[in-house]
Amino acid sequence: MDVVLVGFGTVGQGVAESIYLKNNLFQEGFGDDLRVVAAFDSKTYVIDKKGLDPIDLVKAKTNKGVIGQRRKEDIKDMLPEIEYDVLVEMTPTNIVDARPGLDHFRAALSAGKDIVTSNKGPLALKFRELSRLAQKNRCMMRFEASVGGATPVINLASELLKCERISSIRGIMNGTCNFILSRMESEGLPWEPALREAQQMGFAETDPSYDIDGIDSACKVAILANAIMNKDVTVHDVERTGIRGINLDAVNLAAQEKKVVRLIGEITEKGVEVAPRLIPRGHPLSISGTLNTFHIQTDLAGEITVAGRGAGRYETASAVMSDLWALMRARKGSAHRH
Amino acid sequence: MRVNVDLRLKDVPGQLIGALEPVSKNDGNIVGVVHSHDQVSAGRIGVNLTFEVSNEKTLDKIFSEWREKGVDILKIDQLFETFTLEYVIVGDVSPAEMKRITDGIQALGDVESIDVRYSISSSNERAALISGKVRKKETIKLANRFMRERSKKAGFLIVRGFGD
Repeated sequence: MDVVLVGFGTVGQGVAESIYLKNNLFQEGFGDDLRVVAAFDSKTYVIDKKGLDPIDLVKAKTNKGVIGQRRKEDIKDMLPEIEYDVLVEMTPTNIVDARPGLDHFRAALSAGKDIVTSNKGPLALKFRELSRLAQKNRCMMRFEASVGGATPVINLASELLKCERISSIRGIMNGTCNFILSRMESEGLPWEPALREAQQMGFAETDPSYDIDGIDSACKVAILANAIMNKDVTVHDVERTGIRGINLDAVNLAAQEKKVVRLIGEITEKGVEVAPRLIPRGHPLSISGTLNTFHIQTDLAGEITVAGRGAGRYETASAVMSDLWALMRARKGSAHRH
Repeated sequence: MRVNVDLRLKDVPGQLIGALEPVSKNDGNIVGVVHSHDQVSAGRIGVNLTFEVSNEKTLDKIFSEWREKGVDILKIDQLFETFTLEYVIVGDVSPAEMKRITDGIQALGDVESIDVRYSISSSNERAALISGKVRKKETIKLANRFMRERSKKAGFLIVRGFGD
């Protein structure tokens, strides 16, 4: 199966390494492997229809800062010239206009190519348009890596729970916020030092607004609402309150009631929301630290909770690899190896 | 509606099943039965029964069938299921604002209780906890809407409970 890697930052490099590490499983399972026939970073590209060595790409990026020769055209204009099966889109999330990812999605889907992505922007803003385009051109769009990193919530809900009526999905969808709130609660740290600690440990960006104002969680809520609960919403439809302003007094008052404050993304029949909530201690969503957790309410199975690492080079690559496996299976039939 | 009753039955086999029959026959839902074997008085035994019925007419029918069966009804209590309201407020937690909030929630009706507790803090950062019990789940939705509007007007942040 020929793949094009677009975006060669932390996630892109993790995926390249994982393809190298796990290709034997694809070969054993399907008698075919993943061939990287083109790769793009923000400025350069490299194309070889016979297949590129993923580790050479990572080495080039590490040593020279680029993976190939400088691009003169936009990636969306170059994609139609390449022969491939799957576009792996890993450019950074942009929730203003979803570009350049949205252009890459449109170029690939219009040409009938499947997509695997970690990019939330196009999905949080244009989910229905892209779904229709995929349907029209009989191709697939898989995006497990866009929500919850390594936590397999989308494929769990949309495939393994196919016969369930899902009435709600609630979750801790941002590890940075959960880290800050956990530190305030466990160490008695005021807001500012807890945020600084998250920044020093690399969990929060210098401008932490995207996380602490609930924008990242709202993107994930929009994606889950569309993909699993069949809603037609964008990130702008999500009612959003972040954790900016939560103080130590609030955390302590909650603790006196045996509760913790957590930023919860929620999709129910009545709406979509991100807001700080009071969670009883011991509830699956009272979890501390940087893990993402999703709590799914279903009619037959009852409550199902899944937790895992929400970000990281190999964690996100893990979700991309599972989607690539699913696409290979769709093309080749069931894997030989069980 | 949920009802709790104290009954006195003849201390002979089959009486308990006979006493429960009018409830199940009238589509009532039996929630709990406490049978006091050790408290026999004048040949009668005490039973405390909690059940749910759809309306008062059905309840009257059950009482009438009990009387026909010779079951003594000693005490009747109507019980209400309650739902918890809970908000932590961060920002303006002045007594005047808290009174506006508690008055506003009381005005929604079906409120059993409402309390305010302030944080103890040496800093300027303050918070307050508003907690209460309401009789209808619908009241929680109304209270959430009221709190959202108040937070926009007064500029405070709300951390809402998880019971809705």
